[in-house]
Amino acid sequence: MTDVPIQMQQGTANERFRSGSPLFDLLSRGGLAIAILAVLIYGSLASPVFFTAGNFVNVLTSMAIVGIVVVGMTFVLVVGGLADLSVPATIACGAILSLALQPVIGPVPAFAAAIALAGFCGLMSGLLIGYVGINPIVATLGVGTIVLGIVQAAVGGVIVYGTNPDTAALVKSRLFGIPAIVLIFMAVAVVGHFALSRSYWGRWTIATGGNYAAAEASAVPVRAVKAGAFVITGLCAGLSGALLGLTLQSARPLVGTGYEFSAITAVVVGGVSIMGGFGSVPRAIAGLVFVQLLTNVMVLQGVRTPVQGFALGLLIAIAVALDVALRRRAGGAL
Amino acid sequence: MTVLVRLVRYRVAVILGLTLLIASLTVSGFPSVTTLGLGLDRSATIGIIAIGMTVLLIARQIDLSVGSTFALAGITAIMLQPVIGIWPAALAGVLAGAAAGAFNGLLSVVFKVNALVATLATMLIFRSVAHWLTDSQPVPGTDIMLSLALSTVHLEIFTLRSALFVGSILLLHFWLTRTVAGRNLFAVGSNADAAEASGIAPGRTVFLAFVFAGTLAGVAGVLQSLTTNTGSPVFGAELIVTVIAAVVVGGTRIEGGRGSALGTLGGVLTIAALTTAMEFESVPAYIQQVVVGLILILLVVLDRTVRPGPRTHAAAGVPG
Amino acid sequence: MSAVATALRMRGISKTFPGVKALSNVNLTVDFGRVHAIVGENGAGKSTLMKVLSGTYLPTTGTTDIAGVEVRMRKPADAQRLGIRMVHQELNLVPDLTVAENVYLGRMPRKWGLADKAKMVRDAAAILDELGAAIDPKARLGDLSISQQQLVEIAKAYAAGPRIIVLDEPTSSLSEHETAALFRILRKMKQEGIAIVYISHRLKEVLEIADDVTILRDGSMIDTRPADGITAAEMIRLMVGREVTNVFPKTPSEIGAPVLKVAGLGDGYNFRDVSFEVRAGEILGLTGLVGAGRTELARAVFGLARVTEGRVEIGGKPVAINSPAAAVRAGIAYVPEDRKDDGIVPSLSVRENISLPVLRKLSRFGRVSMSADRKLAESYTKDFSIVPPDPERRISLLSGGNQQKAVISKWLSTNPSVLILDEPTRGVDVGAKAEIHRIIGELVAGGMAVVMISSELSEVLGVCDRVVVMRDGHASAPVERAALSEARIMALATGEEAA
Repeated sequence: MTDVPIQMQQGTANERFRSGSPLFDLLSRGGLAIAILAVLIYGSLASPVFFTAGNFVNVLTSMAIVGIVVVGMTFVLVVGGLADLSVPATIACGAILSLALQPVIGPVPAFAAAIALAGFCGLMSGLLIGYVGINPIVATLGVGTIVLGIVQAAVGGVIVYGTNPDTAALVKSRLFGIPAIVLIFMAVAVVGHFALSRSYWGRWTIATGGNYAAAEASAVPVRAVKAGAFVITGLCAGLSGALLGLTLQSARPLVGTGYEFSAITAVVVGGVSIMGGFGSVPRAIAGLVFVQLLTNVMVLQGVRTPVQGFALGLLIAIAVALDVALRRRAGGAL
Repeated sequence: MTVLVRLVRYRVAVILGLTLLIASLTVSGFPSVTTLGLGLDRSATIGIIAIGMTVLLIARQIDLSVGSTFALAGITAIMLQPVIGIWPAALAGVLAGAAAGAFNGLLSVVFKVNALVATLATMLIFRSVAHWLTDSQPVPGTDIMLSLALSTVHLEIFTLRSALFVGSILLLHFWLTRTVAGRNLFAVGSNADAAEASGIAPGRTVFLAFVFAGTLAGVAGVLQSLTTNTGSPVFGAELIVTVIAAVVVGGTRIEGGRGSALGTLGGVLTIAALTTAMEFESVPAYIQQVVVGLILILLVVLDRTVRPGPRTHAAAGVPG
Repeated sequence: MSAVATALRMRGISKTFPGVKALSNVNLTVDFGRVHAIVGENGAGKSTLMKVLSGTYLPTTGTTDIAGVEVRMRKPADAQRLGIRMVHQELNLVPDLTVAENVYLGRMPRKWGLADKAKMVRDAAAILDELGAAIDPKARLGDLSISQQQLVEIAKAYAAGPRIIVLDEPTSSLSEHETAALFRILRKMKQEGIAIVYISHRLKEVLEIADDVTILRDGSMIDTRPADGITAAEMIRLMVGREVTNVFPKTPSEIGAPVLKVAGLGDGYNFRDVSFEVRAGEILGLTGLVGAGRTELARAVFGLARVTEGRVEIGGKPVAINSPAAAVRAGIAYVPEDRKDDGIVPSLSVRENISLPVLRKLSRFGRVSMSADRKLAESYTKDFSIVPPDPERRISLLSGGNQQKAVISKWLSTNPSVLILDEPTRGVDVGAKAEIHRIIGELVAGGMAVVMISSELSEVLGVCDRVVVMRDGHASAPVERAALSEARIMALATGEEAA
């Protein structure tokens, strides 16, 4: 029910904003692309090593592991699930189990089992959040803590080592010069993007995040959709962990620490709203690319880790503040 | 069924009681005054931070950066000791905590960044500053005697830290239930627009809540550093889970509008009792985490299922 | 009370937003001890005018005098200090505080610097008593029903000892019974000399309670007349600017076999032992007081709420409906009462909203067919004249009436045999109202069975073939239109006549 005349309101669903200033329009629509371009230019100027195939392959490889988690995390934010803080636990689950189960059931079944178990943890979180209605922060923190403890207990609290060097070689192999891990990441990203933007499940996810009650009243299975986002993230984190474990051929329980924050950073910087109902996988990946390139430039320039962390934190704050400010300019839309 | 409802309403007391009972029965040496003193002291750190977190959660906000503020404040207090003396340095540490809280408040209130995202960012920022200041090394303090003094137990139960904790919680309880400002805090957390329409300034309230939380994290951090005579950039890294667990176990909702200082006290004590009991039995740290996580989930699920959402659509806000 | 008779005088008030003139040279004069109603379609400027009065907006031009003194109000606190209190359409209360704390929110009495809880409870109890509301001041506000919360909101405004009270659609959540109670309260306030500004869509109520009526249209003040010198039809004419003869056009239709049958349905709490049937081509009205259980019944039939007894039959065959998806499969569709909360996903486009329930049908191998999606939206946009005719537009930008049309389209795309409409024309202006009724008429002529829940008795009598009246969770047997009058419905609804 709006009492304000129609003339006051304009805009289509594809334009997030329409403000008086063309600068704002440009910023909101292509802001991230511009930022990435800026980093690329700065990097090339600042370091001779930056714009080389070797460096980019490095960046892609380190991006791949987080990237798989980012795809899952996108679903969580879009569905209105706030954040999945159990990612460190599910990554550890994937890493530790994919190695620990190798001598027991063979490398390929171990890989699959590790991912499946991580997915199961995601299911636990998802059920608590989607069906019981627990706050996602509390639920994923709790489940993550429990899972991490169980995984550690299962292997006796020690570091697990890989026993099958062939798998390491497979994971590190390249196709047309691109590491296998990166190819897997790209495949996951493509599937994730298709699922969120073209499938009915993806549309359901966006609707559930946009207005839970209305989606429910529109015969969308909202509880399953909400739970599903956490299952997806669990599976993605499990896959990341398993790949990480195989690459390193060792797995400590804390191997996944920090990944959840890196993933959320990327997704948020990409412009996906934490309130839900808005966002896409390409946006999140763009956010990831920006963050990774920036980190890479800082590393090449010899910037110390604390300063990197500082810059990253500041980046998140600025990105979201900018996003909020742009929305307000447009007239308090979503 | 009403018995179950009654149990849930007083669940904090019930859980605490059960924990203490089971621990006393199964863990030898548990029921003793020393244990009480030990438990209170170790819970004081979490507890002091939890006080600030309680206020923030009631206001429908959250602060993930308390662990980093904790470290930063301690480092400030230690590093300034040779420069301005122990107590002024300690005060500076507390002020550093307040400043951190103010920064969080700035992001959340002025720039309207979602509190979760904002404090995620500041968690990183503050931690990075801590590492940068100390070059990632722990910094020793100047007065080992002070740290001993702070660790002495008075009246067989209280250290300075735990006395401060218990006193502050009681003060908070009084403030939340009896003062106008306290009631206004609940109003802001429950329906900020309605509060604003009635002349309360939600922005100011939320900002002050952030400063309060930061200050308390700073106090806890300073006390920790003084007690251990060390300022370290890795202090407090895993605190956030336990703090949130304690507050939520105590009945404060993350959605805002509902909370209790006494509940937080119960939550903190419960977790302290649990971890103390488990340490007595040499339970490894990761199992302890499992237990804490299980208790948290169990309590939250119980809260949800026994106290369900509104039955009638009318009560939910839609007339029939 | 002051010696000056005029409580409020707004002169030449204009309010311009970028690109739009929301108010244009509006004059409003209200005396102490009188009820002044403001009527107008959605978008006429009523809310904007009230926001100027309550200090939320600063007028672009014009002056406001309170009790003869010119004032400039920059924020709501300024208006409140001048003795102006608003009772909002959307409740502005804090669910987690008690009733007493809500009544005194922002003005809590203090004793020795602390909140004086005992005094708050005492004073709140006294006020609620005066207003005839049986509400416990120590109860948590969120636990009360909507109509009780509305009363608390009124108590809150009244407790502040205002000189001017503004009520914005105060009866939208109240039944006729509670509306009568509200009017008693308003008349009492009149006697105390309070000036009352009353905004409403319900013209009959306006004629009953108001002393004077001001009609707004497109931001301008059309006329101010004494209430006994104007009729509802004339108000409509002035509001709309044209003759609207039949607001409720009744299209004749052929009534066929029963499509939906409900037998002994109950959820153990909100409604019990409800039985009726709806036939093809028929509009069955479902009315009653607020809290009678109509929406709960509809939601249960649609699978949004659980049922503990009884059964539902579609086309003679019993069906188990435990989710909206199951309801859709059975051919039931439900247009919810609250558009904003349950009807639309505001961030999605019109097209995405319309296809939401049938996405799976539009998909192959999981992929939604964009062309089918677009075609669906375009056909409904055209058939129902949804304005602006752009399915890609974000639905939150449409007016209430067009949003409602989109919601109805959404449900028609599921091809239902039964359509349940819950207050379909609430918050919809007169023009769109007629259009929606026309659409309903066409559907029924095409053989659909329609259940219409409505609190507007004239609507119920004008459109429905039979009417079921609910009271406290029990339903009367369906009564034929010919045997009904507003008085009789009221009697059934309040229990004066046994169902």
